[in-house]
Amino acid sequence: MICDRRKFIGRSIRAALAASAWGGLPVLDLLLVPPAMAATPPLAVRKGRDVPALVRETLAALGGMGRFVKAGETVVVKPNIGWDRTIDQAANTHPLVVRTVVELCLDAGAKHVRIFDRSANDPRRCYVQSGIQEAVEALRSDRVEIGYIDRRAFQELGIHNGVALSRWSFYRPAMEADRFINLPIAKHHSISKLTLGMKNIMGVIGGDRGVLHRKIEESLADINTVIPSDLTIVDATRILVANGPQGGRPEDVRVTDTLIASPDIVAADSFAATLFGYHPGDIPTLVSASRRGLGTMDLDKVQRV
Amino acid sequence: MKNLGRRGISWSTWRKASQTACLAGFLWLFMLTEYRGLDEIPYPVSLLFRIDPLAALADLFAPGEFGWRVLWPALVLLVFTALFGRFFCGWICPLGTTLDGCGRLIGRGRRPFRRGWRRAKYYLLIGLSAAALFGIQLLGLFDPLAIFLRSLTFSLYPAYNLGLNRLFDFFYDHRIPILSPLVNGSYDFFRDHLMAFHQPTFNLAFFTFLVFLLLLLLERAEHRFWCKNICPLGALLGLCAHRALLHRSPATLCADCRVCDESCRMRAMEGEGHRREECVLCMDCTGDCPEEKVTFRLYPENGGKTPSVDLERRGLLTAVAAGLVAAPVVRMTPETARTNPYLIRPPGATAEEEFLARCVRCGECMKVCIGRALHPALDEAGPVGLWTPLLVARIGYCEYNCTLCGQVCPTGAIERLSLEKKRKVVIGRAVFDKNRCLPYAKKEECLVCEEHCPTGEKAIVFDEKVVDADGAPRRLKLPRVVDKLCIGCGICETRCPVEGASAVRVVNEGEARRRRDPWA
Repeated sequence: MICDRRKFIGRSIRAALAASAWGGLPVLDLLLVPPAMAATPPLAVRKGRDVPALVRETLAALGGMGRFVKAGETVVVKPNIGWDRTIDQAANTHPLVVRTVVELCLDAGAKHVRIFDRSANDPRRCYVQSGIQEAVEALRSDRVEIGYIDRRAFQELGIHNGVALSRWSFYRPAMEADRFINLPIAKHHSISKLTLGMKNIMGVIGGDRGVLHRKIEESLADINTVIPSDLTIVDATRILVANGPQGGRPEDVRVTDTLIASPDIVAADSFAATLFGYHPGDIPTLVSASRRGLGTMDLDKVQRV
Repeated sequence: MKNLGRRGISWSTWRKASQTACLAGFLWLFMLTEYRGLDEIPYPVSLLFRIDPLAALADLFAPGEFGWRVLWPALVLLVFTALFGRFFCGWICPLGTTLDGCGRLIGRGRRPFRRGWRRAKYYLLIGLSAAALFGIQLLGLFDPLAIFLRSLTFSLYPAYNLGLNRLFDFFYDHRIPILSPLVNGSYDFFRDHLMAFHQPTFNLAFFTFLVFLLLLLLERAEHRFWCKNICPLGALLGLCAHRALLHRSPATLCADCRVCDESCRMRAMEGEGHRREECVLCMDCTGDCPEEKVTFRLYPENGGKTPSVDLERRGLLTAVAAGLVAAPVVRMTPETARTNPYLIRPPGATAEEEFLARCVRCGECMKVCIGRALHPALDEAGPVGLWTPLLVARIGYCEYNCTLCGQVCPTGAIERLSLEKKRKVVIGRAVFDKNRCLPYAKKEECLVCEEHCPTGEKAIVFDEKVVDADGAPRRLKLPRVVDKLCIGCGICETRCPVEGASAVRVVNEGEARRRRDPWA
């Protein structure tokens, strides 16, 4: 079952208000468990060399894109386009993963699909060098729009159930879309150990993002409550095992030919962590997220499809 | 020879058309001086300085070989000037066009200055050349083309962008029916073609604007005051044009009429005759003459008496002496590259002394810098380093895969580097200030610098240690720089989340361009 974004935010706010009225903060976590996070979320993991076929196969296992995107809906597809790096350097989401996901959204009847990321390097270079701009523009569809982040469209919000952050600015188009599809690439990252789906949300927030590093696990959980992902597809066709998240050395790239997808972002990230030899419990971000009810990190409790 | 002034459209209309077209062309090249999806800029964006004889002169005096490959167009211009006169000033020069165009707006004065002032520009040229000969290159400060591009880059273009951004922001924030959708709809086109991708901001923006304003205000005193009396490029072209083939006829003023002299913007008509080194061939006199007598011909009329440039010996000697004295005077101060550790030059910059001699302060590198890292220096590079490019890493960083500044530099002050080579060129080194760095000073996690470090094997690494945080042990990642990997790009300094001064700063220690210390 998918939770509607507006309903979720509305519910969260009402729950937070109710909780604060009641005066019992510990209850907040319980109330905020989104109904979408079923006790046994489905998780699809597939392997393959042919990237478009791999994407289609993985989505089919989850019941098809039609389960996540309904006809006439607006969709945001959020890949990682953070770095001025090429495809084989494994710093950005594979352009064919992005393109195939966009195609599937169009097939499911999406009215409008937007692709963007707040890059760390110069966005113009990142969009070109990652290959994502070219791959998406090759679709030549007027329902698809890849664009740079518009500095005017950030909005500061209070995070009512925030632990590390009480306010932050968020990218309005990411919040306003009917569906948000999170398309990270799995990479090493020194401060959060790994950067996966939850950290990918940092690409749709404003402000000085470096500040978040001080309490990275709670900060990531906070921003993920504001921008929940309807579907997370972790690109692990090749992963960066050291010198992330930028990379740049071919020695640090492992070709794993894997794609992981789940409506539960924590479950998807947790499985991705195992590719690096970690137990999900080793990753503080996943521990926090799981504790705060954003999803499950217990891979025994997911329903492998 | 045919009368050049009688062919339907008047010569001064042709001249105005040429001025407009050249100005538009240079503005177009200016707009193209930006990353637009290609690693190599396919247009000759620094054309303005490749045809600039003053840039060539600076290059000639600079140590190292003369840049024939890049600067040959400047020599072609000199040859044409020797044949036809100072047509560049009247027909091409964008600063001259700006002064002509703005004069009407700000009003023009009644010529309070004596004719003899025109000699000042020759003295200035001679003084600057003498200084350059002895290693102090200041030509760029007075080069009209550099002044034009600097004003455009540092002040006018940022102001233009600010204005447009305000406008777009207004219609974005206020949903005004009909207007808002219209303006918002055109935003993408403007952003992609007619505006800078990032709002440009520069140190010295206001100072540069004041200099530009001063030049404009001189128009209030006299039309083309700058061109007539100060411009060293005009002086250089004038010296070439002194015996140009193109002559004015009649060469002297008529006995009963001074109309052409009154209206001449360069006051090129004197008792002794027509001064070819002053005339910019604006052709206004061909139209102004009530008798319609004035023409320009390729051969002299009745023997062609040529008035001399008549520089005074005293002035000449003073100019040379001033130039010669400039060198030791400037060297009185300590060597800046050594005493200012934050003097970071763009990658590919030549050794400091040669750099100062070659750089014409045109601002091209600062315009093109994708990371908004390069800014004009005030005194950071010493008394003669005004307007030279400086990497200010707190504002922006040197993008790892970018080689644009070397591509646009017209004089080779910044060498054109291949991408492979550029990635390895050390422009400085990062140094941590442990009194400010969060993990050291506040016992908080951070490591943003390490995250952004672009070298394949990171030049910022960390040691994981258990430290004492207010009595409780805390496991922290403490960053440090690996000197042999750091190239000084400065992204760590740009991204450092500490407020105010960064906790990691790039210093020019170990920069690749530095010559070996002769005393070592």
